[in-house]
Amino acid sequence: MGKQIRNVVVLGANGAMGSGSGAVFAAAGIPTVFLARTKEKAEAGRTRAESMVKSTAISRFITTGTYEADLDRAVASADLVFEAVAEDLDTKRTFFSRVDKARKPDSIVATVSSGLSIAAMCAGQSDSFKNNFLGIHFFNPPTMIVGCELIPHAGTDPAVTSFVRDLLAGPLGREVIETADTPAFAGNRVGFKVLNEVAQLAEEHGIAFMDQLVGPHSGRAMPPLVTIDFVGWDVHKAIVDNLYANTNDEAHAAFELPAYMQRGVDAGTLGNKTKAGFFKKDGKNLLVLDPKTGNYRALSEVATPLPSFVEQMKSSIRVGRYGRAMDVFCAAEGKEADLLRKVVLGYISYGLGRVGEVVKQARDVDRIMGFGFNWAPPSVLVDAIGARRTITLLEQGKLAVPRVLVEAAEKNTSLFNEPEVDRGRFFFAA
Amino acid sequence: MVYILGGFQTDFARNWTKEGKHISAMIREAASGCLAATGVAPNQIEVGHVGNFAAELYSMQGHLGALLVDVDPALSGLPTGRHEAACASGSIALLAASAEIEAGRYDCALVVGVEQMKTVSPAIGGDYLGTAAWYELEAKGVEFPFPKLFGKLGDEYDKRYGLKDEHLAHIAAVNYGNAKKNPKAQTRTWYMSEAHACEVSSYNAVIGGRIKVSDCSQVTDGAVAVVLASEKFAAAHAKQRGTKLEHLARIQGWGHRTAPLRFDDKVAESANDPYVLPQTRRAILDAYKRAGIADCWALDGIETHDCFTTSEYMAIDHFGLTKPGESWRAIEERVIDFDGKLPINPSGGLIGAGHPVGATGVRQLLDASLQVTGRAGNYQVPNAKRFATLNIGGSGTTSVVFVVGR
Repeated sequence: MGKQIRNVVVLGANGAMGSGSGAVFAAAGIPTVFLARTKEKAEAGRTRAESMVKSTAISRFITTGTYEADLDRAVASADLVFEAVAEDLDTKRTFFSRVDKARKPDSIVATVSSGLSIAAMCAGQSDSFKNNFLGIHFFNPPTMIVGCELIPHAGTDPAVTSFVRDLLAGPLGREVIETADTPAFAGNRVGFKVLNEVAQLAEEHGIAFMDQLVGPHSGRAMPPLVTIDFVGWDVHKAIVDNLYANTNDEAHAAFELPAYMQRGVDAGTLGNKTKAGFFKKDGKNLLVLDPKTGNYRALSEVATPLPSFVEQMKSSIRVGRYGRAMDVFCAAEGKEADLLRKVVLGYISYGLGRVGEVVKQARDVDRIMGFGFNWAPPSVLVDAIGARRTITLLEQGKLAVPRVLVEAAEKNTSLFNEPEVDRGRFFFAA
Repeated sequence: MVYILGGFQTDFARNWTKEGKHISAMIREAASGCLAATGVAPNQIEVGHVGNFAAELYSMQGHLGALLVDVDPALSGLPTGRHEAACASGSIALLAASAEIEAGRYDCALVVGVEQMKTVSPAIGGDYLGTAAWYELEAKGVEFPFPKLFGKLGDEYDKRYGLKDEHLAHIAAVNYGNAKKNPKAQTRTWYMSEAHACEVSSYNAVIGGRIKVSDCSQVTDGAVAVVLASEKFAAAHAKQRGTKLEHLARIQGWGHRTAPLRFDDKVAESANDPYVLPQTRRAILDAYKRAGIADCWALDGIETHDCFTTSEYMAIDHFGLTKPGESWRAIEERVIDFDGKLPINPSGGLIGAGHPVGATGVRQLLDASLQVTGRAGNYQVPNAKRFATLNIGGSGTTSVVFVVGR
């Protein structure tokens, strides 16, 4: 279709996602306009973009401006308008109405939303707007995390989707997966199911205990509750509330925000950005939240010894024997091992179970969990456990057995077939 | 004749310390990945060689050859050894393995190059790297000695022939640009441009002399393994895999020379020589002669040792792309670019792909073999039939060159 992206306008360029996404465009040498409410905020976004790519040289591709003075003119000449304003449907719609009036007919409009309905966001705009509108979900920080979801809605022109996919995978260097316009798309749907489930289990078993049990040895760089503190409790709540309200599948109960977290959000406990979440620093001491009382206690008081099967998993992973680590995971006995299997097998079941609904193939879930979350992709875990053994364990745990898993077991093939990706990088002993 | 049956490289962007891994995990992943990639069964491996610079310092672990035996039960009893020649350690391991094959002792060798460097801070790592120079005389108490030594290499060029930093910036930009095509390159997601490489800023500080951050290769964790084989073994392997012997990569020639350890002694030795590092030039000429080629124009590409932009600048005239001192011509005429007449480092080299010290020589040979067999993926040089590698230990001290073709 001969389309080209000669310039980009970023709305909300002062925020983490706006400045980070703007940095990605500018680093590719695409002239990019950073817009924010004030000139100072837009300039702060530019400085932040420079620090994210560690270069002032990208600034030759960045100009800044305000919504009031510059939006209409900038949008009128933009080939791509990239929206990264607050994650609120009404706010976004207000911006889109203004963009619709100012934009040229063939420009592409994208939202970085992490889970709101793409179709709902563009409802009420012109047909031209809707045809050229889609979601581009980068993960924070986009200059480092290359995993990216591309979400057309039912009215997106397929040629636009295909053009944007090539742009993302080519000059912008992204690992792109296409997902359906379903709540929270693929990555956050699968990822926050696990995160919220661990937060729920922490109410009974304790925060330090759960984060240790579902720690790096279970296939993630960062423990789950540390991750929620990093993401922010408000963002976590927005994502799981959306999923609880708008999905109804086997994981529905896992999306219910625990009451103690709701109390925390009400009291302004939002994780790292408020310096208190599941964890809190008190000088040199690390404190841990007691979900029952809402008080913090020293980690040293509540810490429990590492279960011996976890010790065994970690010592196998440390020397690169990942298969042996998963043997221990499968065979370990006791309540703790059962709990870990519930979470990890639940992840495999729910992740691969979204194939056909949210994504077309297992590879898509694998890529977004691997390159967006830095978690072991479900297929990597299945290959390390063995497809047949995974099915047996899923059945024992009364978890859904995804069709792709049955097919892999029948054909006796591996599920993760990406020779350019080291599987070992997803197993952590740290 | 020694054949390269294939190999495996770990993702050089990984931080194995953050993953909580011991160096044995790196050797295991590289070796098992290599066996899987080549289809060679563990019980077919007859000898193992490990190239590594300083695991005793970085990981408090010596005796790395023995860790090969741990990779697979079928490797029990395998004769192994470890080789060290600073940043050329990997190539020395390759030379040892290929000499044994040529001598007829063994038909099939596994060679692993490995370095885990992110176990310590950059300052401590810089001090460890100083042992690749004459430590007491050149590195002790010096912060980041190697950038300074390779800065002096640039200064020597400047003194004899003139040198512009913008030419070095182009070398950096080409290597980073090529690395974006390489799915295993450490810097594949990093930002770099010629404009950035030209400027001095808080994001591109001077490290020593004329060397800025953008002129430097990386601190990298990485392991690479290849299988080398005799013609007899390679022929049977090719037949079994449904291919032909002539489709396999082989080592057509090699060169290996050592200059004095101290940088100033090297420069003194070359005072009346048009080449700043004459022993490196000799290693290149030895390899050309053994390969039966007249000059660099018989090559389709080069994987060279760009530990700093100045070392690639040196390699350009030493390989004979230009007359001595005129490397800038090849840069200005874009000869070394990915689509140039003689591309250098399509992988991204040490600056872009990464420089896990003891693994680099093996990585270069693997990349050369992938190129000449058309398996280099996105960074494939079209129709490449012959590649050369140059791996350098110390400040131009140990030079090893391979010519790889099919």
